Amino acid sequence: MSAIRQYELIYILPPETSEEAVAELQTQVEAITQKFSATIEKTENWGRRKLAYEIAGNREGVYVLHVINGPAEMTAELDRRLRVFDLVIRHMVVRVDEELAVAERSRVRRKSAMTARRVRRGLPPEPTEQERSRRQEEDDDLDGPEMGFRERGDR
Amino acid sequence: MSEFESRGRGGRSGDKDKKDDKGGRRTFFRRRRMCKFCVEKIDYIGYKDVKLLAPFIPERGKIQPRRISGVCATHQRALQTAIKRARQIALVPYTTD
Repeated sequence: MSAIRQYELIYILPPETSEEAVAELQTQVEAITQKFSATIEKTENWGRRKLAYEIAGNREGVYVLHVINGPAEMTAELDRRLRVFDLVIRHMVVRVDEELAVAERSRVRRKSAMTARRVRRGLPPEPTEQERSRRQEEDDDLDGPEMGFRERGDR
Repeated sequence: MSEFESRGRGGRSGDKDKKDDKGGRRTFFRRRRMCKFCVEKIDYIGYKDVKLLAPFIPERGKIQPRRISGVCATHQRALQTAIKRARQIALVPYTTD
């Protein structure tokens, strides 16, 4: 049994797809994941969205996202099966657990560094409400467009 | 004044930015370069967050080089993968013309 990893499966259906067809496809995906005893952590239906470019003659599409905890073999199977469904005009499986772990680690590291810094200076470990609002104000005069960040770059 | 002299025979008299004679090229266009992700403490650059990626995708649809956006190397790498993934699922264009 291989290790359980977290993946995100996202696929696009044509905009005219009926609700039932979407639900039907979702149960199919569930069936595949169950075969590998994987669990679906989250399912999101983004509904109709404009596509950034045309796919198979569609300018819009219905997006569905699944967050799945399962083994690596499952992704190959999902990929293979989704390629076969005519209804799915685009799909993608991405492994996310590592990236999320890295993000979490750096978040925790920053947090603890901040706490240590504050304790060393004899301040309470968490910034007070007052400090937070002051920081906001300080930021304001630095980020305006007049500081010369040009949207288009200098080409 | 020495700065002025050293520049004097550089043959730049015909340059179009003649008007800012005093400062030289450096100060002509000063830009504060700060990595947006470091400043705002954004740890995870996800491909689904189009709003986050949009400022780094100029009109043409290309990924903005970090010499222009000022993003640090670590975050530019993460940004790059995020944009490429977003392109695959048509959240962000490959090209626009």
